Amino acid sequence: MTGAAARPPRAAAPYEVDLALRVNGITRRLRVDTRVTLLDALRDVLGMTGTKKGCDQGACGACTVLLDGRRVVSCLVLAAACEGRDVTTIEGLAHDDGTPHPVQQAFIRHDGFQCGYCTPGQIMSAVSLLAEGRGGSDAEIREFMSGNLCRCGAYPNIVAAIREVAKAGDDDAGV
Amino acid sequence: MTSAMNEPRPAGVLIGQGLDRLDGPLKVTGAAPYPSDFDLPGMAYASLVRSTIASGRISRIDRGPAEAAPGVLAVVTHENAPKLGRGPKTILGAAPPPPLRDDRILHHGQFVAVVVAETAEQAAEAARLVQPEYDAADPVLDLADPRAKVRDDPWHVDMRRGNLDAGLAAADVTFQATYTTPENTNNPLGLFATVAAWEGDTLTVHDSTQWPYNTRGALARSFGVPERGVRVLAPFVGGGFGSGLRAWPHVILAALAARIIERPVKLVLTRPQMFTAVGHRPNTVQNVRLGATRDGRLLAIEHTSDSPVAMEDDNLEPITLGTSTAYACPNLITRDRQIRLNVPCPGSMRAPGEAQGNFALESALDELSYDLGMDPVRLRLVNESTVHPQTGLPWSSRAMRECYLQGAERFGWSLRSPEPRSMRDGDWLVGYGMAGASFLHYQAKCQARASIDRDGTAYVRSAGTDIGTGTYTVMTQLAAETLGLRTDRVRLGLGDTDLPMAPQAGGSGLTGALGGAVHAACVRLVHDFLRLVRNDPESPLRGCDLEDITLHDGRIQRTDDPTRGETYAGILARHGLEELTADGDSSPPRGDMIALVGSMVTSRLGRFGRAAVRATRAVAPAGACGAKFVEVRVDPDLGLLRVTRIVSVIDGGRILNEKTARSQITGAVVGGIGMAMFEETITDAGTGRIANATFGDYLIAVNADIPEMDVHFVGEPDPANPIGTKGVGEIGLVGIAPAIANAVYHATGRRVRSLPITIDRLL
Repeated sequence: MTGAAARPPRAAAPYEVDLALRVNGITRRLRVDTRVTLLDALRDVLGMTGTKKGCDQGACGACTVLLDGRRVVSCLVLAAACEGRDVTTIEGLAHDDGTPHPVQQAFIRHDGFQCGYCTPGQIMSAVSLLAEGRGGSDAEIREFMSGNLCRCGAYPNIVAAIREVAKAGDDDAGV
Repeated sequence: MTSAMNEPRPAGVLIGQGLDRLDGPLKVTGAAPYPSDFDLPGMAYASLVRSTIASGRISRIDRGPAEAAPGVLAVVTHENAPKLGRGPKTILGAAPPPPLRDDRILHHGQFVAVVVAETAEQAAEAARLVQPEYDAADPVLDLADPRAKVRDDPWHVDMRRGNLDAGLAAADVTFQATYTTPENTNNPLGLFATVAAWEGDTLTVHDSTQWPYNTRGALARSFGVPERGVRVLAPFVGGGFGSGLRAWPHVILAALAARIIERPVKLVLTRPQMFTAVGHRPNTVQNVRLGATRDGRLLAIEHTSDSPVAMEDDNLEPITLGTSTAYACPNLITRDRQIRLNVPCPGSMRAPGEAQGNFALESALDELSYDLGMDPVRLRLVNESTVHPQTGLPWSSRAMRECYLQGAERFGWSLRSPEPRSMRDGDWLVGYGMAGASFLHYQAKCQARASIDRDGTAYVRSAGTDIGTGTYTVMTQLAAETLGLRTDRVRLGLGDTDLPMAPQAGGSGLTGALGGAVHAACVRLVHDFLRLVRNDPESPLRGCDLEDITLHDGRIQRTDDPTRGETYAGILARHGLEELTADGDSSPPRGDMIALVGSMVTSRLGRFGRAAVRATRAVAPAGACGAKFVEVRVDPDLGLLRVTRIVSVIDGGRILNEKTARSQITGAVVGGIGMAMFEETITDAGTGRIANATFGDYLIAVNADIPEMDVHFVGEPDPANPIGTKGVGEIGLVGIAPAIANAVYHATGRRVRSLPITIDRLL
C-alpha cells in the first residue's frame, strides 16, 4: 500500500550504501543501491509516493522536490549524493497544524490540475518560484513554471493560482 | 419531488455550480494513489526488453546472462512463455495480439522479453543483458509503400449522398488540396503502471486504465481464468487521453510475470516505452475537394484519408466521418483507408479521427473563403445545417450558430481586416483565424448503485474511472442533487471492477452514460424509501409518491406541507435497516443507432433510404460542437509563431460543473496548440525506430506557450440524454489546429497544410 513504512534493510550487496538524510525535517536512515535516484529512494524505499515519476529523464518536472531549499528534479539526483542533506517533498508542505500550504489551497480553488499526476511537482516548483521572488508577473510565472509539464493542460489555472498567492504576499507561502 | 421526478433532468442548485474538485485535497498533497504508487508485500519488479528491428524474426534469444544477473527471478521470452489468450473484441476492434506469442517482429519496440527481479534497478540492468539476434526483413513503413496492404472502408462508415460530380460541375468555385498531419503521442504524465498479484486463479491488478471492465475481460481471457476472479483497480489515473482504452501487452506481461514467480509484480513503463506501447494518434494524408456557389453555399464535398494501422491489430479511427455531418451540402463523399505498416499500433488520442479530419476540412473551408472573397465565419453560417445532413433527422440540439456569433463577438472578429498580411503590431504580423468543430455523439451502457446508510450518508459507485475530467466531483453533485443531500454527505466510489459495470472514460461518453445511471439509481433509491413507508402508519409520508414530495438536506418532506416529513436516517432506524440500496442503469439513446445506421443506409440507397430513416421520427443526437477563434503573431524574419488569444464557445449541452468543464476545454485547447505547433512523433524511415521518444525531443506545449483563454458555454440541456449533457472531453481540442493554421495564413499569406507549424515552415 501507499505510505507504508520503510522496508527493513537487507544485507548489504556490493552496490549498496548506507546514508542518512533529512526528509521533511525528519532524519531517515536507509540503505540503498548506489544506482537508486533520490526519487526512487523516496518512493520505493521510504514509501513516500507523493513525488511522481513522469519521465525519469529530468524533462518533465513531476518529481520536483526541494533539496537544501532549492528545487531539483529528483530523478536526476542520486540518493547516495544526499547524505546529510535536507529534502522537502509535497508531503512536507502543509503547516504543522495540518493546514495545507497556501499554494496547495490556491491550486484547488483555481482548478490548477486535472489528473493530478504532475501536481506535486507543479506545487513544489510554485513554492520555490515564490520564494525566489519570481511571481511578479504572469509572464514571469509562465516562464519559471515551464519546466513542469502538464499534459491535461491546466497551465492557465496554475498561473492563476500562483498569481493569487503572489499577490496576497502571504507570509505562510514559504516552506 | 422538486428535481428528479416530474422533470427528468435534475435542475437544482448543485448542478452546474463550479464546485472545487472534491479529490483536490488528495491530489495537492500527493495522497491520491495512482497505480504506480502501490507497493505490496513481497513485490518484485519487471522490466521489458524491446525489439530493435521493425520486421523479421528473432533468430536467437539467450536468457542466460540475464538469469545470472543479481536479484533476477525470471526471464520470459517467446521460447518459455505460456500460450496466452487474446482479449475480447470491443467497440474499438480486436484486442491487441497476445505478447510473446512467437518469434515474429511486427514493429520496432515490440516487447520480446520480460525480466523480473527483486529491485527495479536489478530488473533494468538484467533487461539490458537480453540481446536478441534477428533475421531482419525490410519493414513497410510508408503509407505510399506499394507493398502495403490497404483496407478500404475499414469500419463501413464511408459516406455518400447526392452526386458529387454533378455538384462539382454545378459549382461556381471549386477548390482542392492535400493536407497531412503527423503522428502524435498521447504522453499522459503518469507513466503507465501495472501492479499485479495472484492468489491461485484470483488476480488483483492496479492499472493505468480508462476502462477497468475491459482490462478485466482481457486479463481473464489471456490467462483463461473466470472474470469474476479478476479485480482491476484504477481509482486515480495519471491521465490517459485515449492511451488507456485498451489492455496493452505490458498489462498482460505484468500479470504473466506475477503468475510465474508467484509473487506480486510492479511494472512501470519508461517514457520511451510510452511512445511504442500504448498507442498514438495516427498520421494522415487527406485530400479535400469543395464546390460552392458564388454566395458560398456548398454544393460538393469530397474528403478522403489514408492513415496507418499496425500489421495485426485494429484501430477505430474514422478520419473523414465527421465531415459527413459537419455542413449542409447535398453532394458528398467521405472515404477512409487504413494502410498496414510495421509500426506500433495507433490508437485513440483526444478527439480521435476528428482532430485530424477537422484540420483538413476547416483549413479547406478557410481557403475557399479567400477564393470566394467571403468572411470565413459567414461561410460557415451559410452552410450550418438545422438537421443531421446525412439522414435529414432533426438534431437533438445544436447551438452552432450561437457558437459562431458569440465567438465572433467575444473575440472582436469584426476588427479583422480580411487581407492576409494586413495587420501588424510592431515587428509582428498579426493574424486572426477561426474554425468550427463538432464531435460525434457517443454513449454506451452503464450501471451504478446508490445506498443510504443509517447515518444518513450516501455511497454511490460504479466501475468507471476519473482520469482527471472531474467525474468524482460532477457525479457527487448529481447524486447529491438527486438525493437532496449536501455534497459532503455523498461518497463516490469509482475505478474498481467490483463495482457495477461502466464503459470507458473515452469518446466524451462517460459523463452522459454514468450520469444517467447515477441519476436512475438515486431516483430509484428515493422511490424505495417511499415504498418502505407507503403503508407505515407512523410515517408522515405514508401514501406519498415521488411527485408528492420534496427533498431537503437528507429529509423527505411533503410538498404540500414541508413540516411533515422525515429523514432517510429516521426511516432506516424505525424499520431496523442498516441501509437501503438501489441500482440504476442507462443506455444509449435510440436515435444514436438510427443516426449511424441511417447514415449508412442513406449512403447506399440515396433518397429512398433517407425517406425510410426519417419515417422513424428519431432525433439525431448531436454531440458537442463549438467555434474557435485564434489570434497569432508571427515574426516574419525569425519564423517565430506565438498564439496570443483564444476564444472557445462550446455547446456541451448541460454543464454539470462550470469549473471542471471549463478546465476540460482549456486543457484540450492546450493539446490542440501542441498538435498545431509542436507535436510530431518521428519514425526513422530506414529502421522504423521512433527517433524522438523523450520529452526532451518530442515537444508538448509548456506553460509559457499558453495565452489567456476565454471559454464560454452556450446551448441547452440535450434531450438525447437523461441528464442533458453532451460530453466535453474532446470538443475543446477539435478546431484549434486549423484555427491556428488559418490565423497563420491571415498573418503571413502563407498556407501551411502540413502540421506541425514549426519555424522552418514560416521562414
